[in-house]
Amino acid sequence: MTLATASVVDVLVGATTDVFETMIFRQLKAGEIFWGHATRPKSQIVGTVGFAGSSTGLVAFHASLPAARDFTSAMLGIEVDEEGLPDAVGEITNMIAGAFRTRMAAFQDAWAISVPTVTVGSDFYIKPISTGDRVIVAFHMDTHELFVELIITPNADAAV
Amino acid sequence: MRFLIVDDSSTMRRIIINTLTKLGYETFLEAGNGREGLDRLGSGQVDLIITDWNMPEMNGIEFVRNLRSTPQGKSVPVLMVTTNAANADVAEALKAGVNNYVVKPFTADTLKEKINAVALHA
Repeated sequence: MTLATASVVDVLVGATTDVFETMIFRQLKAGEIFWGHATRPKSQIVGTVGFAGSSTGLVAFHASLPAARDFTSAMLGIEVDEEGLPDAVGEITNMIAGAFRTRMAAFQDAWAISVPTVTVGSDFYIKPISTGDRVIVAFHMDTHELFVELIITPNADAAV
Repeated sequence: MRFLIVDDSSTMRRIIINTLTKLGYETFLEAGNGREGLDRLGSGQVDLIITDWNMPEMNGIEFVRNLRSTPQGKSVPVLMVTTNAANADVAEALKAGVNNYVVKPFTADTLKEKINAVALHA
C-alpha cells in the first residue's frame, strides 16, 4: 500500500509552512518534490522525530548551518551560536512532526511520536531499514534551501 | 503573576518567555522536566504553570498528576503547550488535571487568550 501520496505531501507542506509562519515569522515556499530513495539532500544539521501506530516512520528536517542560524535567530530574537542550534532544530522538527501527526489524525488513528533527535555533520543520509515510502520536499526561505523528509510504512496489524 | 515554565527544550522555554514578556509579564521560573518542575514549586509561590507534554524523566501528564496530589499544587492553574493535539490527547490531559491547552505552533494572541481563561477560573 502506498501511503506517501500527493495529499499526504500537501499535509506535510501545510504543517511545515504553518510552523515557520507562526513561530519563526518567515515565509517558506515549497519547491521540488523528490519521490523514492535516491535523493540525498545536502545539509549540515538534521532533526528527526519517529512515529508509530497505524503507520510507522519518521519526519526529518534538514538545513545548512547558516540557514539554521538564520531561522533560529528569527525565532528567538537573539543571535545563537552553534551550540544552541541542535535544541532549536529539534524543537522545530518536533513542531513540524506534531502538526503533521495532528492533521493525519483526521484520517487514521493518532500516532505516538518520539522526542526529537538531532544530528550535526555532513556526508551522511537516513537509510530506513523498513521498505517504506519516502518523499522529500524542498523549501525556499530567502536564499536558503531547506528539506523535509517523510518515511512512512503502513502497519500491517492496524486498520488504516 | 509568577509563571513556572516546564519544557525540556530551552528553545521552547525561551519562546514562551519571550511571548509572555511581550504580553507584559515579568517573573518566570524554569524547569527541564516534570520532576524539576515539582522541585521548583518548593521555591516559592507560582501563579500559573505552562508545561510541555513530551519530556524525558517525567512527562507533562505525570507531572500534572503528581502536582495535583500535593497541597501547594492542587489548585495552581496549568496550561499545557504541546504538539499532541488529537482529541484523545486533549481528553487525557484534561483528565490528568490540565486546565487548558495550547497547540504548537501558537501565536501570542492564543497564549494570551488561554492564560486569561485559566486565570479567570483560578
